[in-house]
Amino acid sequence: MTEIIKRDGSRQPFDAPRIVKAVASALNDAQIKDHDFAEYVAKKVASTVEGLELVDIYDIQDQVEHLMMSSEYHNAARKYIEYRQTRDIERESRNALSRDILSIINQDNEELLNENANKDSKIIPTQRDLLAGVVARHYARQHILPKHITAAHDRGEIHYHDLDYAPFFPMFNCMLIDIEGMMTNGFRMGNAEIETPKSITTAAAITAQIIAQVSSHIYGGTSINEIDRIHAPYVRKTFEKHLQQGMRWIRDEEKAREYAMEMTEKDCYDAYQALEYEVNTLHTANGQTPFVTFGFGLGTSWEERMVQQSILKNRIRGLGRNCKTPVFPKLVFAIKKGVNFSPEDPNYDIKQLALECASKRMYPDILNYDKLVEVTGSFKTPMGCRSFLGVYEEDGKMIHDGRNNLGVVSLNLPRIAIESKGSEETFYQLLEQRLQLAKEALMTRIQRLDSVRARVAPILYVEGACGIRLKPDDKISDIFKNGRASISLGYIGIHETIIALYGGKNGSGDLYDSEELRQKAVAIVETMRAAVNKWKQETGYGFSLYSTPSESLCDRFCRLDKKKFGVIEGVTEKGYYTNSFHLDVEKKVNPYDKVDFEQVYPKHASGGFICYGEYPNMVNNLKALENVWDYTYDKVPYYGTNTPNDSCYSCDYEGEFNATSRGFECPQCKNRDSDKMSVTRRVCGYLGQPNSRPFIKGKQEEVVRRVKHL
Amino acid sequence: MNYLQYYPIDVVNGEGTRCTLFVSGCEHHCKGCHNATTWDARKGTAFDQAMEDRIIADLGDSRIKRDGLSLSGGDPLFPGNLSGMLKLVQRVKAEYPQKNIWLWTGYTLEELSQAQQDVVQYIDVLIDGRFELDKRDLSLPWRGSSNQRIININITITPRQIT
Repeated sequence: MTEIIKRDGSRQPFDAPRIVKAVASALNDAQIKDHDFAEYVAKKVASTVEGLELVDIYDIQDQVEHLMMSSEYHNAARKYIEYRQTRDIERESRNALSRDILSIINQDNEELLNENANKDSKIIPTQRDLLAGVVARHYARQHILPKHITAAHDRGEIHYHDLDYAPFFPMFNCMLIDIEGMMTNGFRMGNAEIETPKSITTAAAITAQIIAQVSSHIYGGTSINEIDRIHAPYVRKTFEKHLQQGMRWIRDEEKAREYAMEMTEKDCYDAYQALEYEVNTLHTANGQTPFVTFGFGLGTSWEERMVQQSILKNRIRGLGRNCKTPVFPKLVFAIKKGVNFSPEDPNYDIKQLALECASKRMYPDILNYDKLVEVTGSFKTPMGCRSFLGVYEEDGKMIHDGRNNLGVVSLNLPRIAIESKGSEETFYQLLEQRLQLAKEALMTRIQRLDSVRARVAPILYVEGACGIRLKPDDKISDIFKNGRASISLGYIGIHETIIALYGGKNGSGDLYDSEELRQKAVAIVETMRAAVNKWKQETGYGFSLYSTPSESLCDRFCRLDKKKFGVIEGVTEKGYYTNSFHLDVEKKVNPYDKVDFEQVYPKHASGGFICYGEYPNMVNNLKALENVWDYTYDKVPYYGTNTPNDSCYSCDYEGEFNATSRGFECPQCKNRDSDKMSVTRRVCGYLGQPNSRPFIKGKQEEVVRRVKHL
Repeated sequence: MNYLQYYPIDVVNGEGTRCTLFVSGCEHHCKGCHNATTWDARKGTAFDQAMEDRIIADLGDSRIKRDGLSLSGGDPLFPGNLSGMLKLVQRVKAEYPQKNIWLWTGYTLEELSQAQQDVVQYIDVLIDGRFELDKRDLSLPWRGSSNQRIININITITPRQIT
């Protein structure tokens, strides 16, 4: 006898009269009298399921729908579909939606509340954002995404990132804001017309305003590429203003210049202090501090140097009374031979300042100029924490500012490996299928933006943040074409994938220790890269391969796989999957060997990557820190040194706190009060402060397991 | 001379990127010592020619640049360690005159015997003095308690023929 799988997963014997009833009722609604037709449909469906053991209710309904659509009773078919949709929606809202809403009120869904370590889910504006997210996610799953995409996402085969924003809202992921264009040409924001600033103070204030606005219209990170170059003219204007003032009162030009320089230095430092405070006190419409990244370091003019120094000195000082380590803006410092690499370079002093800053505040991360150009084709700051744009030219000129990423869909590679049961052939077949799914999912992101008009986000499309000035009624889709925007395939857990796929045969399956397995791992990444290259050719969109940060995804995929396949040693056992191509966090190797191990990947995953190493507190050993930075220069484009430097407000201890499963502890006075400490750890490409906002469970487990590479 | 631990790459014992050797044997027995297992000179592995060669090779590594060698323990100036130490530091200075040697000892500079001074003359930075629990301060670089001193010993003042 045939059984039906109902929506809630329960089973029931197939019952043809129910079909008769449903069709009759649809006919009735359309005011058609043809009972034979209802019988005919039921019989036809019954004949197709005959002999089958199990049939999904959705397949039955699809068949009914199809039969009705191909009949003469189109009106009745429409009634049937409407009825079915209404019921689906009702069911949905009764179950999942109300459950999720309730969990915001009850604060009991860890996945939902701690998904993003930078959101404080206890406060009202964030709760409003979470609520909007819950509704947007449900609606998108129900009405926007094709069913098989939603199903693949739910099963954990792929992850459609940021469903709480897009595709419900026509939003994109992250971008490089064209601050230069906005400030040079002026723009409108809210009710104000803003002209070119006349001082660094104003320029910094306006920059903060732009960041706030832009961050409310996109869901990923906002970056400012080469902020030193962009703000330099305003430092100059400040100097000229002070010089004029100085000449009026001092009259000795040399002395007046000295005065003007001192005042400018002070203004510049203060401007960046205000900007940093502004960023850290702002709350975007997305219920969080804006995810903003400042890229700087290449400029060698005195103005640019002053900007660089101001940013670093402010960060070294810290935020507020307790001189806390801020987690935003993220700082990314560019290192280039001939600019700041060697003692004879003009900005070597600033590299030293950057080292001091990194030892005390963990940021800046570094961008190695030559390697970055080799891997991604040109120099640019990452969008958000690690998304990199490819090369794009307009009128023979390379453009970076104003460009963006349209979003990410990630593959659960360990899942494919588990399902392949040790067969490489099966693995690649399944990978091919999942890649196809991911491509279709990504295409929905593009389609969603297709007919959208510029007026949905004036700051982006009308006022210049995206580097163009459209009319409010213009369509925005063209600015994402021809590789101007990127759209990314993500992946996670190369480490676990190799264990799941080759662990049985080669013993431990430990990637690090086997040259053969290393090549297998690279081959997987190369296959994904070849796929995105093909999609790019086919569609003209800038498909890229992105090493997913997996802040919460490391937990989600692993949890789903554990549920489905049970505890698999070295794979689902730990409660998290390893970040993209990264070395197993428990593997004890020195940072040099870790760099060597990871350096092969960025060139394949050039749409997004970061490498980092775990260090002890390095405040007293900048020389050693510089040795590691220098070592990475011709090996990895983007590197972060995780050098914990926590502070205890109870005993004034500065150094690394002990990470325990129950939280963090001062090694000197054993203080565990999370209000009396500042603890900073790397979450992904971003930092987080786990003492005040706990990481999601899998992430905390990963943090506790991290071993020092020195 | 026995050793308990050798780190071919180390950044927490002295400035720069270093090789660090922890030898066994210490007669100070300071209260609160975080390394009490190193007091017994018989503990650990015999420091042999192969180990010495390995340190020399690591210091000369062209891929990962080392600033120098750090000697800790135990106490490298424990009487039983002196002949072994002397041979090691002489060879390091002979082969890498530009690399520095840091040494941690529980004796103070003023109380060193002649044999200990013979070793110390090859040392660039000496951290001296016993660990005193009531003066424990985790914020001090390279030291455990505030009575301990970081002494730069300028070997160029008394140049010696190294054979």
